[in-house]
Amino acid sequence: MTGTTEDRSRPSAPPTTLRRVAASPEEQGRTSIADDEAFRQFVVPEIETMLRVAGTLTRDTGEAEDLVQDALVRAYRGIAGFDGRYPRAWLLTIVRNTHINRGRRKRPEPAEDPDADLDRVARHTTESTVEASVVDIVIDDVVQECLRELPRDQLRIVELVDVAGLTYREAAEKIDVPIGTVMSRLHRARKRMRDHLVRAGIGPGRSRR
Amino acid sequence: MRWTRWWRRRPLTCPEVARLLQRHLDQEVPEHLAVRVQAHLEDCRRCGLEAEAYQQIKQAVRRQGQPLPPEAVERLRAFAASLLEEGKDGAGGPR
Ligand SMILES: [Zn+2]
Repeated sequence: MTGTTEDRSRPSAPPTTLRRVAASPEEQGRTSIADDEAFRQFVVPEIETMLRVAGTLTRDTGEAEDLVQDALVRAYRGIAGFDGRYPRAWLLTIVRNTHINRGRRKRPEPAEDPDADLDRVARHTTESTVEASVVDIVIDDVVQECLRELPRDQLRIVELVDVAGLTYREAAEKIDVPIGTVMSRLHRARKRMRDHLVRAGIGPGRSRR
Repeated sequence: MRWTRWWRRRPLTCPEVARLLQRHLDQEVPEHLAVRVQAHLEDCRRCGLEAEAYQQIKQAVRRQGQPLPPEAVERLRAFAASLLEEGKDGAGGPR
């Protein structure tokens, strides 16, 4: 899904007549037909991923939706300058930077000058953020795939412990198996995901293989 | 006696930590042992990276497990469509 779009960075070179070469100041905010198409192709399919990441940043569903809305506006304005490579990473960077800016807007009083910190974050975030976003995306994709392939009994335990937050003992009681069974299923499932990650080029084994 | 005490507090080896790692990250290891695992993770880069990988997996699973509110996704899709719509008139977007 990611990374392979280089050659099709834009929906097949748009006819030049359709493209506005340079936007005059009063045209800013408007986009060309090709840009609209790029927005449809690259941004719209990623709305769910954006919302998911926004959820982890804000920890609040309402906030997350507002954040994605702001990010969509930014993405729409920025689409003309986007080269079509790694659309997810680009969008997640927008989500994170928008999140930082929203945080700044929310507490405008420089009581202990938190803005100084935020500025520093904003300035230094971009590059490492792109990298972190890319890693997050790969991990999410791999984990999602693994969960789909996981044997039912393992999946159930993973859900109980990692999603519902149960202890081993609680999980064992819930499905009426010995605690040792909980451990072996859970650990086997995670080991599998870990091995997949290593194969995908991330994870602890990457420098040795 | 003294030897026993040393044995109980000795630094853990990598294989021992590997066996305890997932339980440790799930906070299922008794405190006195957790301290020793933690100490090893801070000193040993290899095990530290391993721990980080499992931590990331746990977080990713949690993210997957929380279903997105479908209405929110719908609203955002509609919002994106409205951006495309209004962009034609030169407006920066709705709202
Ligand atoms: Zn070690």
